Amino acid sequence: MPRRVLIIDDEEDIREVAALSLETVAGWEVLVAGSGSAGIAKARENRPDAILLDVMMPGMDGPTTYHQLRALPETAGIPVILLTAKVQAADQKRFSDLGVAAVMFKPFDPLTLAQEIAEALGWRDA
Amino acid sequence: MSDAAAKIAARLAELWQTSRPTILERMDVLRRASASLNLNPADAEVRGAGREAAHKLSGILGVFGLPEGSTIAAAIEEILQSPDALTAADLETLQKQVTALEAVIASKDGPGADGPERA
Repeated sequence: MPRRVLIIDDEEDIREVAALSLETVAGWEVLVAGSGSAGIAKARENRPDAILLDVMMPGMDGPTTYHQLRALPETAGIPVILLTAKVQAADQKRFSDLGVAAVMFKPFDPLTLAQEIAEALGWRDA
Repeated sequence: MSDAAAKIAARLAELWQTSRPTILERMDVLRRASASLNLNPADAEVRGAGREAAHKLSGILGVFGLPEGSTIAAAIEEILQSPDALTAADLETLQKQVTALEAVIASKDGPGADGPERA
């Protein structure tokens, strides 16, 4: 059964390129959501194997979405990778301290994104 | 090029065309922010709008094969993150970076452009 990954990002381009990348390169099933609240609903409904979560989104931002996912029993155990364009060291530390599985950065390479996710999560079947 | 790489490259070329208006709109926000901050370097609203546009550009340009564009946009975002009024040196750097970013984006559609490359 293919891995199932949920991408939560308010940028349609990013959602589309990331989905294309994970589906085409790794053969994973991809779900997408354009906001934190929509992402939480999809995560509860579909129980993905991992969530790729944008940090800076209008409304509910990535860290807030992450905390809400952790607070819900049905999504608390899903590994979350934060995706951000911010590359300052202070931000990296702050995001890592949240307890997420990994922090990855935009721009990503569509040809290696799946491999990077698999490595970050210890998936050996990608 | 593998099948996956070819498929991704073809779809990125299509996406570039649909994303281009939004990218140019964000570029325009940066141009206007740079001009406006020259008149009022303390304008927090303009800095915020410019910072958001730079952040979005920094995240997407490299995906479309313009890593230099992402780097420049990140540098612009950093300048606009300052909580204080921009200095004359900041303003000069901002103007130069905005011009450089404009050139990078224009190069994508200019002579010699051959579609998306790997980020």
